[in-house]
Amino acid sequence: MDKNKETTREIINKNADKNKGKPLFSRVALDAIKKEFDKWKSSNVREYDRNNWAVTPQTMLGSGIPREMIYSPLNISDLDYMSDLGNSGQAPFTRGIHPNMYRGKKFTIRQINGFGGPEDTNERLKFMIKNGATGLSVIFDIPTVQMYDSDDPISRGQVGTSGVAIDSSSDMDILFKDIPLEDITISIVTHYPSNTAILFPMFLAAAERRGIPWEKLRGSVQNDITLEEVVRSGPEYIPPRDCFRIQCDNVEFIRKNVPNWNFITLNGYNLRDYGTSSITEMAVAIANGIQTIETLILRGYEVDWIAKRLAFFWSISNDFFDEVARIRAARRLWYKIMKYKFNAKDPRSMWMRCHVQTSGITLTRQEPLNNIVRAALQALSATLGGAQSLHVDSYDEAYSVPTEESALISLRTQQIIQSETAVTEVVDPLGGSYYVEALTNDIEKRILDEVSEIEKLGGYVQAIERGWIHRKVANYFHSEQAKIEAGDIKIVGHNCYKSSYKTPPIDVFKYPQGAEERQKEKLAKLKESRNSKKVEKALKNLEQACRSDTNIVPYSVECARHGCTEGEIFKVFKKAYGLWKPPVFF
Amino acid sequence: MVKKNIKVLLSTLGLDVHSRGVLTVAKYLRDAGMEVIYIGNSMPEQIIKAALQEDADIIGVSSLGGAHLTLGSDLVSQAKKEGIYDERVFVIGGAIPDDDAGKLKEAGFDEIFTSGATKEVIVSSITNIFERKLVN
Repeated sequence: MDKNKETTREIINKNADKNKGKPLFSRVALDAIKKEFDKWKSSNVREYDRNNWAVTPQTMLGSGIPREMIYSPLNISDLDYMSDLGNSGQAPFTRGIHPNMYRGKKFTIRQINGFGGPEDTNERLKFMIKNGATGLSVIFDIPTVQMYDSDDPISRGQVGTSGVAIDSSSDMDILFKDIPLEDITISIVTHYPSNTAILFPMFLAAAERRGIPWEKLRGSVQNDITLEEVVRSGPEYIPPRDCFRIQCDNVEFIRKNVPNWNFITLNGYNLRDYGTSSITEMAVAIANGIQTIETLILRGYEVDWIAKRLAFFWSISNDFFDEVARIRAARRLWYKIMKYKFNAKDPRSMWMRCHVQTSGITLTRQEPLNNIVRAALQALSATLGGAQSLHVDSYDEAYSVPTEESALISLRTQQIIQSETAVTEVVDPLGGSYYVEALTNDIEKRILDEVSEIEKLGGYVQAIERGWIHRKVANYFHSEQAKIEAGDIKIVGHNCYKSSYKTPPIDVFKYPQGAEERQKEKLAKLKESRNSKKVEKALKNLEQACRSDTNIVPYSVECARHGCTEGEIFKVFKKAYGLWKPPVFF
Repeated sequence: MVKKNIKVLLSTLGLDVHSRGVLTVAKYLRDAGMEVIYIGNSMPEQIIKAALQEDADIIGVSSLGGAHLTLGSDLVSQAKKEGIYDERVFVIGGAIPDDDAGKLKEAGFDEIFTSGATKEVIVSSITNIFERKLVN
């Protein structure tokens, strides 16, 4: 990326006054309000409050934005309804991406599932569908995430923990047994570009074997360099440039061949929970999105062809109105970026579609049932913000992966919001609030400022290579920890309202036994039954593709079809690209 | 204040993807005057090797992914087999259910730190165990 070229902020600011000109509040009214406000402030408001008019809430992963004691039209004096808000489903999409929002389609209840072997997780997927999950989400075990096979010595003792073990395409058959892949959307939580390029082809090969055409498949993958190179701790990394190349190969291949699939869910969640503010989370994801689109355009594609299947994945933390406002801010900002920077024509290209997850790190080990309340409030703010799908963390987050009971409560939290509160009957209910609109404006500006910082470094991939983002996150979480220790960030039951009352022990999930042995057996059988010549050839062709400019994904699909294992494919990446060591700061 | 410069070796256990916790603890211990070496993701055998190479007094591992019982117990039993267990302190932290914490104590960990453990508790526990186990 050229450091001297116009930043996105410059482009957007140049277009800032387009379509403006019909301010909502009349000058006469504003002047009268200001006169009364000043009088009220000096005579009714206490001196202490006058002197502490703006306070900055201290919250986990917060924005650090000061809040005034009360908001009025004076805070949004030049608001132009059609230009700054628009109606829902209308530019600039501040109020929502569809006119009818949840009246037309409630947010998808999409809880993550994964543990043990594919046969174990298959049971839990069926349980979730039976109890009202409207979308599926599958996460992989630590070895699979890190791209090692279950029989690799490095995977010892970890198979089936934190997610489901998948070694080859035939495991995908077991994972999705009796699950109607054409009728339900599936988020396959392949965090990284590298493991997306390995696991998604395995899923595609499984769909093929079932006779399902790829056009019928609907869902998402993560496919995000942020996860592979910044957030995760791992023993081996490929260089950021190669990782980003794979990210773009995945985007290109999926957009062409699996047209109803979201090829990227820009992160977002994991970065923030690792330790960063609500602003940086969005700036990073947006900078990544910008660079991805730019790269695909350089490959010869039209922006409207690329952008309509791009999606985001946000964390939802505790500062209630901040969370509502930032989703609205991201919608408006993404619209402006797509319209003014990329000249997108199709409204679908301009929608900031997002899946959200309530923040894991805000949940406590002490008094775990309190976490149900935390997650419910976070889920409510995401609903008021207009997210498309939700995962609500379960109350036993600090202990293990969810039990059926705790997963059920997460489902019920969303069902209660949808069925009992009437919150989903009205679109953008907080729109027009002086506070929420002022906060939306402020957040949008701050996100754009941070996007500019990243662009001035030469782009997001550069920011990763230089360790800039690693350092920023480390600084953030070390200072956040200091605030928690000092009691500035209050956590009920942990550093305030501490009780000697011992809450009853909770049921903690126990991983099913034997996943490692079963996976090893399957791998042994697979290696006996597959055509080793075809396997070798497929891996060789993949390596050649990695070393050239061609899109590597079709070669990975071939590997999947012939029964290559994940570890075998990752070895090819390592061989072709070499290893990289990310910086560590403490 | 510590009498001797305590040397701590920290590692993320196995293939665990999380590092915020261990890096936070790394800073606590360094700020408390200890020498801290962080070796990233490591299997028990690598941790033992590094502990010997670095002549670490304290070995701390972090596990949030669920492999604490398998790999954690493995670490301690290997340390005992190698004959390095007695002169060193072994601690583990992370997402560890209470029952498992008990089992890890039995396996030989000197202390288990679950989420919510504060800087004071971690630093003072480690210092106390060090003085009790090694300085005598």
